[in-house]
Amino acid sequence: MNEADPAADKANFTRIYDHDKFNASFYPIDIKQTPDGGYLILGGRKIEDSNFSGIYIMKTDEYGGLVSQQEVDETFVNPIGPLMENGGNYSFFCMTSVGLQTQLLKTDAEGTLSDPVNIALSYPAAAAADGNNFLLLSYDNFNKKSVMSVITSSGSINQSKGFAIGAGDAVEEPIINHFLRTGKELPFFAGKTTSGQFYFNGFYNYTLSMVFTNLTDDEPQGVVQGQQDDGGLSQAVQLEGSKFALARFNFVDNYFLPNAALNTSGISSSSELGGNPFPELIANAPVKILRLNTDTRKIVLYGSNSRSTQIALYGYSESNGEFIGSRYLGFSNPFKMAAMVSTADGGLAICGTTYVAGRFPRICLFKLSKEEVTRSFH
Amino acid sequence: MRRLPAVFLLLVICTYAQAQSKKRAGGFSSRPNQQSKFLDKQWWLGFKAGTNFSQASPIHLYTVMTPVNYALELTDKAYDSYSKAGSQATLEATFYYKGFSFSVQPTYRHSRFTYSNQYQWTNPENISERLILQYDQEQKTDYADFPLIVKYDILKGKVRPYVHAGIFYSLLINANKSVQISGTDYASGGTNEFSNDPVIVGAKDLFDNYWGLVAGLGVNYNLGNVRLVLDASWWKGMSNTTNVDNRYSNDLLSGIGEAPDDLKLNNIIISVGVLFPMRFLGNSFNTLDR
Repeated sequence: MNEADPAADKANFTRIYDHDKFNASFYPIDIKQTPDGGYLILGGRKIEDSNFSGIYIMKTDEYGGLVSQQEVDETFVNPIGPLMENGGNYSFFCMTSVGLQTQLLKTDAEGTLSDPVNIALSYPAAAAADGNNFLLLSYDNFNKKSVMSVITSSGSINQSKGFAIGAGDAVEEPIINHFLRTGKELPFFAGKTTSGQFYFNGFYNYTLSMVFTNLTDDEPQGVVQGQQDDGGLSQAVQLEGSKFALARFNFVDNYFLPNAALNTSGISSSSELGGNPFPELIANAPVKILRLNTDTRKIVLYGSNSRSTQIALYGYSESNGEFIGSRYLGFSNPFKMAAMVSTADGGLAICGTTYVAGRFPRICLFKLSKEEVTRSFH
Repeated sequence: MRRLPAVFLLLVICTYAQAQSKKRAGGFSSRPNQQSKFLDKQWWLGFKAGTNFSQASPIHLYTVMTPVNYALELTDKAYDSYSKAGSQATLEATFYYKGFSFSVQPTYRHSRFTYSNQYQWTNPENISERLILQYDQEQKTDYADFPLIVKYDILKGKVRPYVHAGIFYSLLINANKSVQISGTDYASGGTNEFSNDPVIVGAKDLFDNYWGLVAGLGVNYNLGNVRLVLDASWWKGMSNTTNVDNRYSNDLLSGIGEAPDDLKLNNIIISVGVLFPMRFLGNSFNTLDR
């Protein structure tokens, strides 16, 4: 008969993490599955004493039930993802609310924080794991430079190189508005190719650009230029060699390129890359890309925000970029995408923001089973 | 026009009862032993219909809304017991043997049950920043029930009270669900009481087949050779009616924070009907005296 099924309860669920304070506001930044099968969520929250976002950390069990939540001290603000796993701990960057100095924070799988490590950089913007080290894109507002750095797990700066954003306050304005969350959310990201080339998506030479560098030369090795802050790449994930899964935006329009060749040397323009247009997505939509393996194929999964206020997932074959399926999450109240992660059971966990009662921003978590993922993207 | 079938039905029953009562003289009365032996057994065939009231009994509670700073129990649904009337129609085939009856009663049953939950958001620093939302949810389910029932006639005569017990299996045919969201918003510069149009969704995927036990009592009234039936029974669900694989499958419901609990569904079922005897031997035969 149809009795309670713990396996089904773990495989599929939807959760909305509600706070009963009228003026509270929470949003997720990244999610990781912990070894116990639960989930660790890094989030931001509205705080009273700063224009920047405060830090919020939440731990759930494997059913999505709340285990613990922590509103981190307001002296630390502007958390940025991802949660970078290292030796059973999860690290992320943030900054101090007064000095705007970058901090490296570490939490264990239960969400317990250790002491922060100060890093002599300001305005952390994007990060990525690089073996035992971390890559950090930050903004140096004194010298007006996008700074790409390699940080050790103990917080030392191994390598660092700054790239001028251009002269004048107008160039800096969208960057500061991004940090204050009062303007356009800019798609900063950082990483390293399999050939050892570092890259970041940030401002360089007056334009939001994807910059390739060896962190030795003063000049970039390659630049994929955008259109000031009106166009550029929204997300890039290397598949192999010069093949990338890309998303780009250009004057509010959005395009996906699931299997694109990217010029990692010289100067090129993102608007020349073409791609599949997505008018159903909101203007300048934030995009997440995840490489995912099902039983039958390798998938490049795109997640973004639809104009119908749903989280939209689009799957493409990794081998040839062929579209293979879509899935929409959320209804009734608005939902926005934040992060997604493959789970140990072959499923998918997606976290985002929903507006409970149409007005209260709260963190939500969707867990899709392996079967559901396969059914949606077969 | 609507009353025509009922009038026709009543006419058939009365005619049938009258016709059978005219056949009573002679016959078996002169051969009591043979009649007695014959009347130890009887087949009855008929139909009944009536109303039912449901009670959803939670086995395990589920919620989409997961509180981070208030008690989880505040998200629990408050179920209303036996508050909404449903309806059912039953075909009955019963074999009578020496006071006991063995009955198959396939039934089409439409049941309803309701529950509600409430959420509240406040600002301790500003009392006017307050919102209360009330979710009133009604489930309507259609089941094909297949009960096997044993009856025992307490008295033998024109009025024959009986008790019965049995087992049933219910096959889900259809289900839908409506959610009415209402609330009071104190943050709009006044007291803004509002009620949204109900959200109505097909919910067959959220329910499942189940089985249970039946117990009850009733009374037969012999009208000529026809037997009128009034019975009341309690159907106790013994397995979960919620489809555990599809608990979160409806995005519309999940989006507003709704996930069905694991439930056992109990019903009080009241029916009236008529049964017709299937075995006759002669003019004097009276099927109803045993």
